[in-house]
Amino acid sequence: MSAGPQPQTVRAYLEALRRALKGCSAGLIADALADCEEHLNNELANKPELGEAALLASVIETYGSPEEIAEEYRSMEATLSGPFPKPEPAPSRRYGFFNVIGDPRAYGALLYMLLSLATGVFYFTWTVMGLSLTVGFAILIIGIPFALLFVASERVLALVEGRLVEGLLGVRMPRRLPAAASGDETIFARIRDALTDARTWSSMFYLLLMLPLGVVYFCIATIGLSLSFGVIYAALWSLVTGESHVQIDDAPWLQHLLSTAPGLLLLVVLGVMAFFVVLHIARGVGWIHGRIAEVLLVRL
Amino acid sequence: MAEETTYTRKFRKELMAGLSSLVLLAVLARAGREMYGYEIAKAVKAEGEGGLIFKQGAIYPVLRSLNALGLLDSRVEASAFGPPRRYYAITDEGRQALHDWQGAWTDMRQFVDEALLAGAAQP
Repeated sequence: MSAGPQPQTVRAYLEALRRALKGCSAGLIADALADCEEHLNNELANKPELGEAALLASVIETYGSPEEIAEEYRSMEATLSGPFPKPEPAPSRRYGFFNVIGDPRAYGALLYMLLSLATGVFYFTWTVMGLSLTVGFAILIIGIPFALLFVASERVLALVEGRLVEGLLGVRMPRRLPAAASGDETIFARIRDALTDARTWSSMFYLLLMLPLGVVYFCIATIGLSLSFGVIYAALWSLVTGESHVQIDDAPWLQHLLSTAPGLLLLVVLGVMAFFVVLHIARGVGWIHGRIAEVLLVRL
Repeated sequence: MAEETTYTRKFRKELMAGLSSLVLLAVLARAGREMYGYEIAKAVKAEGEGGLIFKQGAIYPVLRSLNALGLLDSRVEASAFGPPRRYYAITDEGRQALHDWQGAWTDMRQFVDEALLAGAAQP
């Protein structure tokens, strides 16, 4: 049943579980590791007289081996449809060009792109302000507490952003702050864990990165939407009222075409097509951004 | 415990797959308060001889799925011991489900018992 030697320490057990869950969505792995860590730490606290290795041996009997646990989580994710977003296969293979209109993910991504300017500016301002104040306060007595508060706020921001990404882009994200690595409960151990956790720093980088990304996303979304809707509206308006608002001086034939009914209908069709293209772009951007968030915000 | 054959283990696993939800709902309904995962694992182990068959690690994904279905409420609370604890409590919908499932279980057990007895009566 067991593949290779059984783990002797909590850390090794978690590592084995992580390996066994390879290929699952990052959020599922984070959930499973958190459940397992909570259980093992409780076992450790309840039976301090046992050594860690002896405890792990008994844990594998009562709790299950990493492979068994991984299997349970896989089957849970497979049977559960609904609140947990499923890992998405490559979208282009599943949908035709026009089916994107019914894909909630495209609208979610579009909304995310529109929001990302505001969130990006906020994250960036917060991080840069925090960093510069931390440097400035470094010589003062409040320097260290301030730096720690700032790091804590960054971790909360990263969690909030994770919830946003999961809600709108459908990528599983952690549902809690990263847990302390071991059973020790002192505030200093927690601080040390937070500072040595690579995710703290990658999250900070992500929050900075959100400004340029947010600007780009916002521009793509607003330009795309206003272009497609603008063209549709202008063409319909001309069709209904008979006034032409299209002025193209360089190409008289185009100008002529666009003041006739068939030309205007063609323009409406073009505008609608442009909207579909925008939805496709939004879904693509959403997918890429989901990957970025997964790499930078999820601790594995 | 003697080493079981693979298909016996698979059979147990399949039996437990649906019943674990029932057992967990029953434990939480009887407790009448919210409990965290480890506490539930201990309570389940105390249920009886079935405890060994049912790996404690398997209850956590079941708790999560019951939570996702709305049969359990959950909240996370920071704990003095290591990582934050996730507390679960049964919802009204969960109590209703428990009631319905108990009926289903009673029917099923009766059906299986009758089938087994009929088999035993044969020479």
